[in-house]
Amino acid sequence: MKNFVATGLAAVALMTGGAALADFPADDNITFVIPYSPGGGFDTIVRQFAPALEEAMGTTVVPENISGAGGSRGGQSVHRSDPDGYTIGIYNIPGLTVNEVTGRDQGFALDEVTWIANLAVARYALAVKADSPINSVEDLCAGDAPVKFSDTGATSTASVTTRISMSILGCDIVDVTGYAGSNDAMIAVISGETDATIKPISSLARYLEGSGSGDLKLILTLSDAELVDGVATAVDIGHPELAKFTLNRVIGGPPGIPADVVSAIEEGLRAASDSDAVTSWAEGAGVDLEFMDAAETSAMMEDLKTFYAQYADIVGASQ
Amino acid sequence: MGLEALIAAFFAVLNGGSLLYLMTGVMLGLTFGVIPGLGGTTALALLIPVTYTLEPLDAMYLAGGVMGATSFGGSISAILLNTPGTAPNAATTFDGYPLARQGKAGMAIGAAATASALGGLIGLFTLLLFIPIARDVVLSFGSSEFFLLTILGLAAIAVSVKGKLLRGLVAACIGLLLAFTGANQFTGDTRFTAGIDYLWDGIPLVPALTGLFAISQMIELALKGGSVAEDGGEVAPKMKITGVGAGILSVFRHWTVLIRGSVIGTVIGAVPGLGGTVAAFLSYSSTAQTAKDRDTFGTGNIKGVIAPEAANNAKDGGSLIPTVAFGIPGSAETAIFLAILVLHGMEPGPTILLQHEREVYGLIVALTVSAVGASIIGLLFSRVLVLITRIDVNIVVPVVVTLSLTGVYVLEGRMADVLLSVLMGILGYLMIRFDYPRLTLVIALVLGETAERSFHQIRLISDGQVIEYMFGRPISIILIVAIVITFLLPAMRSLPARRRRARPGE
Repeated sequence: MKNFVATGLAAVALMTGGAALADFPADDNITFVIPYSPGGGFDTIVRQFAPALEEAMGTTVVPENISGAGGSRGGQSVHRSDPDGYTIGIYNIPGLTVNEVTGRDQGFALDEVTWIANLAVARYALAVKADSPINSVEDLCAGDAPVKFSDTGATSTASVTTRISMSILGCDIVDVTGYAGSNDAMIAVISGETDATIKPISSLARYLEGSGSGDLKLILTLSDAELVDGVATAVDIGHPELAKFTLNRVIGGPPGIPADVVSAIEEGLRAASDSDAVTSWAEGAGVDLEFMDAAETSAMMEDLKTFYAQYADIVGASQ
Repeated sequence: MGLEALIAAFFAVLNGGSLLYLMTGVMLGLTFGVIPGLGGTTALALLIPVTYTLEPLDAMYLAGGVMGATSFGGSISAILLNTPGTAPNAATTFDGYPLARQGKAGMAIGAAATASALGGLIGLFTLLLFIPIARDVVLSFGSSEFFLLTILGLAAIAVSVKGKLLRGLVAACIGLLLAFTGANQFTGDTRFTAGIDYLWDGIPLVPALTGLFAISQMIELALKGGSVAEDGGEVAPKMKITGVGAGILSVFRHWTVLIRGSVIGTVIGAVPGLGGTVAAFLSYSSTAQTAKDRDTFGTGNIKGVIAPEAANNAKDGGSLIPTVAFGIPGSAETAIFLAILVLHGMEPGPTILLQHEREVYGLIVALTVSAVGASIIGLLFSRVLVLITRIDVNIVVPVVVTLSLTGVYVLEGRMADVLLSVLMGILGYLMIRFDYPRLTLVIALVLGETAERSFHQIRLISDGQVIEYMFGRPISIILIVAIVITFLLPAMRSLPARRRRARPGE
């Protein structure tokens, strides 16, 4: 059945794609570069997609971890490879966008990357300790002392999100960075070291009543629509721009991949994203799949660049 | 609940297929442990993609087998070649290698095997006791305690270098300098990277330790020639392959050393970022500092083998305490265990014991079987393994260097790691030649980052009132007392000792 669908898709792509597509993908393997070590979020999503993508594309997909330099090394390696579609990579967005906006040299320009698709989007929420008297952002920021947040690294997307969004809200904060992982940062709130933390909702779910241990509660989701019953959204508090903060798993390739090859990979990824194996994994692992095609992804990248450029001084500032 | 799950997990392992995965893990772990440069982290990292197609439980058995076996495997090379098979075995070389050169390699291996197995069991038993209160334990260890533990570790290295204080300090400072290379977790800026992307993530531990311990020792051996068991061109006359029984018995005779090592291992294991190297070293140094016969440490005291090996294996149990409480890793190995769960579509978190009880207990049982199994297998082969010390170094050196540099490359697939290993090897060799303690550098390298990071955290959390904040926390106060005692102990002891010892020199 799946083979049939894949063949069908390939046939449709063939009719619309033109000459070059006839030999893509040929017998060559597709190398799927993961710029981090095995076992993390980016590695896992690629390894979950790989078998379904293989089936859809009819060629072997080889995930390859090229870690180092905060994800730049893998990105550079993709950037240097031939733009023939046989090397693609997953990108940490907006992490790389923020790096670029703040002038950190990562060895390649995001503008030049051939964007192919967006696979998943994580949305953020603000959590405090479950038994805390604080029930809204207003309560949280009402005190005299700065509010303490916990995060992993100062360049992590969550830390950047925290500093920008709280500055938009006019809330005085200290972001305590250096926690070993996002779990450790959430545990710091539970143990009372810090007051609050902003993390992807899927990560926080493990600590919430109902879906997890019940140690934390949400007081705000950085989203347009209500994502969790009874929790205020960015729109509710009058700051819809906070919904712009997301964590995206984006697929791209070296500069100058021909359009027909891009659309072939894009269709392969779309088919993989719709496959039973990937959707059931995503449901179990709390990953929000959100497929965007190449055009939508490129537009989003432009949009994010403009958005983060406004806040370059906040994210670039050291403590 | 826990006991039933444990018994169920134990019987599940006895099922033929599961046992096969477990024993495969043990053999892999022993092999990776014995070969310098290849350790548990490398073995598990290489196994991650393989486990993708396995059942989650079988993946646990495989991982548990590897985790439980590497540290004992590493002690074999530490004893026989003066080259720790894995970094945590570094402390074992201090007394293990002198024993081997005195022809007592069998005894040292026997003691290491027994201490490893029993230390592993004590660590896991402690873990089982702690499961009900694991949450509270983890919550009561915050940035303040992490910081003080790193200071305790640094204090221990400061007092451990008897008679070589200045050299020890120089080595420790180099270690700290290396530790502070790369992105500052705090500001996001990069430091001391000289424009090299590779250094953004700091000095990676595995290649650095492989260079400092394995490559440097191989340079030393190659330049010396002969074979390990040879002394001054002649094979040591007493080179016997017996004494294994005496080694096993020695652990029971020195049971206090075993218990102390296991407790230190469990506690240090539970603290993310410290790891086996620090645990084994602290255990060794506290045993050596408090023993009546402390002057014989470093010359082949069997207690110097028991202490680090017990701690080294007990740390696996300890490192699972944060894992069962919150689904966070206590060590590089448990991080990979959690990664395997994630890869299988599970989501480790604070409810890990409720949702993934089978996998967690599966891992605990696998670790238990592996700790004992690896030691038994090691003992069976010890008579053969000891022969390594008689092989011409011209054969040993190329084999070890090739294997360890390959291992370094394979871990991340970066040639720069190999280069770093070689550079660290040269540095390590120079340190051997000029008598600077390598382990001091390594401990500082391991602790530096955690020390800096947690200090910044306390500063922010306490609004700058660091001292007041620490004294408000009971565990911190205990640690401060331990640090003070560590510093004062040698001074207090040296007073009567100086009076007793009238003759010059040691």
